[in-house]
Amino acid sequence: MDLSIANFAQIIIACLLVIALMVGNAVVMVYVERKACGFIQRRPGPYEVGPRGILQAVCDSMKLLGKQIYVPGNIDWILYFLAPVLAFFPVLLLYLPIPFGRHLTAMNVDEGILLILAFSGLGVVSNILAGWASNNKYGILGAARAVSQAVAYEIPMIMALLAIVFLTGSLSLTEIVERQGSWPWQWNIVVQPLAFFIYLVSLVGETNRAPFDLPEAESELTAGFHTEYSGMGFALFFLSEYANMLLVSFVCAAFFLGGYKGPFMDGFWWMFIKAYAVMVFIVWIRWTFPRVRFDQLLNINWRWLLPLSILNLWVTAVIVRFI
Amino acid sequence: MDQAIEKLLASLWSPFDALEALIAGWLPGQQVAAIAAFAFYVLVLLAGGLMAVGCRNLVRAMLGLVLTFLGVAGMYLLLASPFLAFMQLLIYVGAVCVLIFFAIMLTKNTGEGEESKLPSPATAVYGILAGLLPLLVLGPLVIAGADRLPQVAYGQTDTRLLGEGLITRDVVGFELISIILLVAMAGAVFLAWRKPGKNKNESEAD
Repeated sequence: MDLSIANFAQIIIACLLVIALMVGNAVVMVYVERKACGFIQRRPGPYEVGPRGILQAVCDSMKLLGKQIYVPGNIDWILYFLAPVLAFFPVLLLYLPIPFGRHLTAMNVDEGILLILAFSGLGVVSNILAGWASNNKYGILGAARAVSQAVAYEIPMIMALLAIVFLTGSLSLTEIVERQGSWPWQWNIVVQPLAFFIYLVSLVGETNRAPFDLPEAESELTAGFHTEYSGMGFALFFLSEYANMLLVSFVCAAFFLGGYKGPFMDGFWWMFIKAYAVMVFIVWIRWTFPRVRFDQLLNINWRWLLPLSILNLWVTAVIVRFI
Repeated sequence: MDQAIEKLLASLWSPFDALEALIAGWLPGQQVAAIAAFAFYVLVLLAGGLMAVGCRNLVRAMLGLVLTFLGVAGMYLLLASPFLAFMQLLIYVGAVCVLIFFAIMLTKNTGEGEESKLPSPATAVYGILAGLLPLLVLGPLVIAGADRLPQVAYGQTDTRLLGEGLITRDVVGFELISIILLVAMAGAVFLAWRKPGKNKNESEAD
């Protein structure tokens, strides 16, 4: 990686594109989510604004932009306003090593997956700060839940990814995609189905989505760590949540589903098709499963996912070493 | 298709390359850029450290610690070892800091508790001395032994070499550290274990 103006320009352009992707993704996903939710619960979903309610998400975002920012009393001012910013900006970094094509990466880092895992830790810190700074008991409870959940689900997630890294011998996302073929039976999901399953469960836990959305469980905690945020403060948390969802879907596509490679013609469209298939799956299980209790959530992780992932990693290591 | 995209990208970057060639004369060299980056990370480290020590509020102090870890990660990046930098962030910011935050939240911390009292002058002096001790011991050692350190060419500190070193030449140290961690973990489990069928007060009395 050499320092040059072209490199800087590339990263800045990539960041701008990522912001556009984040906002566009959130607008599209809100509509998809509400329509899918309506379909699953046998009701129409949004249908008033525009044909088939397609402009509903635009209206919602306009409402968020114009909303008064309500600030509760006795808060920690610096941390209260720092938290949404800290939630939003690391996500820009996380998209840099994602390969959309053989050469279509913002920054081809050899330790790409480590960069993603390292900077996603800042998202947890922002959740804690938000819950802490807003001087609200629901906020603190949500933040405490966010911590124990994120710390727990990070471990099987990393172990599942590590199994693929063992097979490939590289931490670079581009290299991992390059080692897979174009057809579905050449993808890593075939050789590592257990790792794929573990990753799929723990990515739902890691992105705080139902059935694992305990940090913001609205029936118990109002809105959890972002109870006291309104307007754009809330919008930044919301954007970063959807951006994180898209990011783990991209990583899932690159690690298990062949990334930008696909039947007939390789290219970035396959990356998007696969990632959005994973997104739709996440939305689907959100509206199909009931929310688990908190002890159940941690038991699933520590008693099932962690031993399974250790076993999977161990078997993979033995196979890689001796066969 | 991929080649077409690559060509398109190359043609997009070519004006920047031309621009760089044009102003190459008054661009600072790599050396100056490295010193500037070093100075920036030192500032981040010092600011984070001062914040961690000086803040009355425990959560803000933790944020200072996070800032310090970010500075250390930057230093590793500057030393051309991104693996260490990312591991630093992953372990210290992503796990250690987050767990300490968790511990702070479980305590009753109103900002007026014990942590907000200023330390007595004697404590402050002892604290500063304790902080200086590693500097006074390790600093001269590092400076004296600088020419005996193994020289690694730029870009050679890749993850593969690091891994090979850890499981061949330095395997004893590596395993010792893991044993220490195991003992610490067993100790933590032992301390926190509450025998089933007893309530909290009884188990504390044991």
